[in-house]
Amino acid sequence: MSEDCSSSEETNTPTTSISQDTFTTETTTITTSAFNIPPETPSSSSSFNTHLAIQSLSSILTTVSPSLLSQDQDPAFYLLHSPDISSQVSSLLRLPDSGAGDNNLCRWFYDTFQSSEPQLQLVVLRFLPIIAGLYLSRVALKKPLAGFEAVLLAIYAHETTSRAGQAMTVNVPDLSHPSIYHESKKPAKDNDAADLNLAVISPSLEPHGTVRSTRRARIVGVALELYYSKMSLMPVRSKIDFCEFCKVWSGQDGDDKENVEFQDDQGNVGKESVIKEGRIALPWELLQPILRILGHCLLGPNKDKELIGSASAACRSLYSRSLHDINTQAILATRSLLRLSKMALDPKNNVDHTEIPVTDVISL
Amino acid sequence: MVRSQSADSSEYEDQTPSREVWANGICMKTSEVEAKLDEGNIQEAESSLREGLSLNFEEARALLGRLEYQRGNVEAALHVFDGIDLQVAIQRLQPSFSEKQPSRKGRSRGDSQHAVSQHSASLVLEAIYLKAKSLQKLGRLNDAAHECKRVLDAVEKIFHQGIPDVQVDNRLQDTVRQAVELLPELWKQAGCYHEAMSAYRRALLSQWNLDDDNCSRIQKAFAVFLMHSGVEAGPPSLAAQVDGSYVPKHNLEEAILLLMILVRKFYLGKIVWDPSVLEHLTFALSLCGQTSVLAKELEEIMPGVFHRVDRWNTLALCYSAAGQNKAALNLLRKSLHKHEQPDDLIALLLAAKICSDDSHLAAEGVGYAQRAITNAQGRNEHLKGVAIRMLGLCSGKQATISPSDFERSHLQSEALKLLDAAISLEKNNPDLLFELGMLYAEQRNLNTALRYAKRFIDATGGSLLKGWRLLALILSAQQRFSEAEVVIDAALDETAKWEQGPLHRLKAKLKTSQSLPIDAIETYRYLLALVQAQRKSFGPLRSVSQAGDDRVNEYEVWHGLADLYSRLSHWKDMEVCLGKARELKQYSAEVLYTEGVMLQGRGQVEEAMSSYINALLLDPSYVRCKILIGALLSKRDSNALPVARSILSDALKIEPTNRMAWYYLGIIHRVDGRIADAADCFQAASMLEESDPIENFSSIL
Repeated sequence: MSEDCSSSEETNTPTTSISQDTFTTETTTITTSAFNIPPETPSSSSSFNTHLAIQSLSSILTTVSPSLLSQDQDPAFYLLHSPDISSQVSSLLRLPDSGAGDNNLCRWFYDTFQSSEPQLQLVVLRFLPIIAGLYLSRVALKKPLAGFEAVLLAIYAHETTSRAGQAMTVNVPDLSHPSIYHESKKPAKDNDAADLNLAVISPSLEPHGTVRSTRRARIVGVALELYYSKMSLMPVRSKIDFCEFCKVWSGQDGDDKENVEFQDDQGNVGKESVIKEGRIALPWELLQPILRILGHCLLGPNKDKELIGSASAACRSLYSRSLHDINTQAILATRSLLRLSKMALDPKNNVDHTEIPVTDVISL
Repeated sequence: MVRSQSADSSEYEDQTPSREVWANGICMKTSEVEAKLDEGNIQEAESSLREGLSLNFEEARALLGRLEYQRGNVEAALHVFDGIDLQVAIQRLQPSFSEKQPSRKGRSRGDSQHAVSQHSASLVLEAIYLKAKSLQKLGRLNDAAHECKRVLDAVEKIFHQGIPDVQVDNRLQDTVRQAVELLPELWKQAGCYHEAMSAYRRALLSQWNLDDDNCSRIQKAFAVFLMHSGVEAGPPSLAAQVDGSYVPKHNLEEAILLLMILVRKFYLGKIVWDPSVLEHLTFALSLCGQTSVLAKELEEIMPGVFHRVDRWNTLALCYSAAGQNKAALNLLRKSLHKHEQPDDLIALLLAAKICSDDSHLAAEGVGYAQRAITNAQGRNEHLKGVAIRMLGLCSGKQATISPSDFERSHLQSEALKLLDAAISLEKNNPDLLFELGMLYAEQRNLNTALRYAKRFIDATGGSLLKGWRLLALILSAQQRFSEAEVVIDAALDETAKWEQGPLHRLKAKLKTSQSLPIDAIETYRYLLALVQAQRKSFGPLRSVSQAGDDRVNEYEVWHGLADLYSRLSHWKDMEVCLGKARELKQYSAEVLYTEGVMLQGRGQVEEAMSSYINALLLDPSYVRCKILIGALLSKRDSNALPVARSILSDALKIEPTNRMAWYYLGIIHRVDGRIADAADCFQAASMLEESDPIENFSSIL
C-alpha cells in the first residue's frame, strides 16, 4: 500500500520545483518510486490530498481506526492533534533504523510535505523535533539516515524557495532616531538605515541536493526556523518532544548538578546514571533557532505547565552546555531565558494590573 | 489571575460589614442590599439602592454590578450588567461629546453639562469594563475581548481627538487605561494572536493618555509577545507611520525597539527598574548577535542598579561574544581582583579561555585556570573538566614562547597530561579530541595526532572543516600526499561551494609539494574563478553572514601562486603575482619575505636582505625571514657568524620544529668548527624533514 501511495512529483504535486532539482543520488530511492493514481485525478483538491495522506499513513501504522476518514472534524487537523496517531508515529520514528532511505514512514513524511498542502505540511513539522532530534544524534553512530535527510532537505528546499534564498536581517534600532513609539530631539533629517546596526539572523540560503556534513547544522537549523514560525499552531506534545531532545543534544544533565542559581524546586538528585548519549555539536546556526523555540515554550502566550517544565529543563541543560563550551553568546541567551522563566514564576511579577482596586467604599 | 482574585475576595469577606456605597453625597451600608442580592433579588436590591441614594436605573445597576464583582460573584455581576442596555447608553453619550469636542470655544459654555456627561460616560464604560472582566473570569475570553473592545470603541467615538489631558474624570481615565491594557491580554488568552497584535498596536499608537507605568507595562508585554508568540506581526498600519520616523519591519526589531525605549524610560526616571526588561533585551540582542549593542546598553545603566561585578562580568560576556576579547579580559581582571569576586567560576573560565588564544597571555591564563579548578566544587564540579582543559590549553600555548627548552618540554607534557585528564571528565566533548590532535601534531607526534584527528571527524560526523584540514595536514606532514589529497577530496564533497576555498588552497599546496605544478596552477586558477564568482554573487549581506575565514581569500591565492612560481624559478610570473598580492594586503611580512626570495633568486642579495629585514620590522616573530637572514649572514665573513647564530636560535625558540633553522644552525656550527654540535643540528633537521606539514598547523585555527 505504501508503495502505491508514495507520490512522484510529476503526477501529483503542483510544486515540483521545490524538490526536483535539489534531490540527487542519495535520496532517489524515495523520489523515483512509481505512483499508480492517474494524473487526471483532481489532485489540487486539498481534501483529496489529505485523504490520500491518511490512507497511506494507515497502511504504515498498525492501528489506525478506519473511521478516521469519516471524521467529522477536519482530517488534517485530526492528524495534527490526535494523540493516538502521534504516539504511534513517534514510537515508529524512534525505532533504531527508522531513518533509512527505504523507511515507509520517512517516505510518507516526504510525500506528505511535498503535497504542498499547508495543513499537511504542519503535520510533518509536528514531528520535526523527533526527526531532527534523532537525526542529529545518530549522525555520529553511522546509522542509515537517508530517509530523515530527505525529509529535512524537503523542508529546507521549501524554505529556500519561500524566502527566495534571501537572508533574514534585523535592523537593530538606534534610539537617537525617532520611531513610531518614541520621539527624539534629534531632527530626523537623514533617515537612512546606514547607521543602524544590521544583524543577520539567518544568512542567505543556497540550494542543497544532499546533506553535506558541514552544512548539516544549517539545514536542520533552517528547518527549525520554519518550525518556529509555525509554533503557535503546533500541539504542545510536539514542543515537549523538542525540549526533550534539547536535553539530549546538550549532553548535559541540567537537573541535578546545575548551578545553584537555576536549581529547580524539586531539587532533582540521583540522576547521575543518565547516559549522556546523543550529544551533538551546537554551532550558532543550530543553537539560535533552538533558543528561539525554547523562548516560545517558556515565555510564549500559551502557558502549559508541563511544557514550561520541560522547556526550563532543556534550558538548564543548554546553559550548562554553553558553560562547558564557554560559548559567551549562548551563555548570555540561555542565562537570560532561565532568569526570565524564574521571574515568570514569581508571584510578585504576576500582579494583575487590570483588576479594579477593591475598596470598602464604593462610590458612584 | 482568577485564583489570586478569589483569594482576595475571600480575604475580604471576613470584614464584610464595613462595606458601604456613596453617591450624591449620601452614604449607605451595603449589608441590606447584599442580603437581597444573595437571595437573588436583583430588582429589590436595585430599588433599595435607587431609593436610598436617589439614583437612576443605570447608575443603580452599575453600582450593584460593581458590588457583586467586588464580592467575587462574577456570574451575578454579569447578570446585573446584562440588565443595562449599554449600547443605548453609549449612543446617548456620543452626540453630547462629539458636538462639543471640535469647537474649543464651546467648552466653557457647556462645562457643567460636560461634567455630567463625563460622569455618566465613566459609569457606563466602567460597567462594560467590569462586564469584560467578569467574562474573563468565567473563561469566556472571546466575549470578554469583544466587550473590552466596546469600551475602547466607545471611547474613540466619544473623544474624537484623543482623550484630553485636563478636565477628564479620573475614574473614566482609569477605566480607559485598564481597558487598553486588558484588551490585548484577553485576545492573547483567547488564542487570537493577530487580534492581540493589533490591540497592542492600537494601545500604543493611539492617544489614550496612558500614564508611564501603564504604558510601560503594555510595551513590555507587547515586546514579549512579539518575541515569543511565534506569530509574525507584519508592519504597523500606514496611519501610524509618521513621516521620517523609524518603522520596525520585523517582530524582533519592534521588540528590541520597545525594550530599548523601556530601558531609556528608566534612565529618565519615569519608571522603576524592572530587571526582566534587561533580560529580555539581552536575549533578543544575543539572538541577533548584537552583543556590542547590548554592551552599550549595559554601560548606560546607572550605577546602583546592579552590582558592579555582575555588570563587569556580563559586559565581558558581551564583548567576548562580539569578538572584543581584549576589552572582555580587562573587565574580567577587574572583577576577578581579590577585593571583588576572585572565585567567580564563569569569569575565571572565560578569562582562561581568552588567555589561551594568545601565547603572551597564556601564563596569566594558567593562573585563572588553576583558580577555576580549585573553585569547581560542589554544584559546580561538573565544570572541573572544563577548567582542566583550559589549564591544558594555556600551558600548551605558554610552551610556545617559553625561553628554555627544559621549561618548554615540561609545559608541553603537562599540557598533554591535562588534556588527557580533561577528556576523562568530558568524555563526549569532541573539541578535546581536536585540541589533543593539534597539540600532538605541533609536537610532531604524528601518529597519535592522526588518531585524534580521525576520532574528531568521527565524533563530529565530519561537520567541522577544521577536522578535515587537520587530518590532511597531518598526512602531509607524514609525506602521505596522495592520502592527504583523498582527505581533501572527501572534505570537498562535504562542503558547499563557498566554503571550499581553504580546501582548494591546501590542495594546490599538496600538488606543489608533489611537484605537480601544472595541477597546482589549475587549482589556483579555479580558486581565482571562485573569487570572481563570489564577488559577483555576494551582496554586502553575505560578507556579514559568512565567517570571514571560510571565504576564498584572493590574497592567499596570489601569494600561493607566487610561492609556486618561485619554486619553479619563474621570476617574471612570480613578480606579477606578488604585485597582485601586495595590492590586496599592503603591509605583509609574508609578501616581503616572498619578494626577498625572488630577489635572492635573481641574485640581488642586498635587496633581498633588506626585504627580509623589512618583513621582520613588520612582524618581529616571522620565523622564515629570520632563517633566511641567518642563512645569508652565514655565507658572509666569519664576523657575521655570531649574529647569524643568534638570529637562528631566536627562530628556533619561536618554532623549535623548523628544520631549515636547524639546518642553517648546523652549517654555522660546522663553519665555526663545532662539528659535534653541527652533527646534532643536522640530525634534528633530517628528522624534522620527514614531518613538515605543507602549511603550519596553526593556520587551521
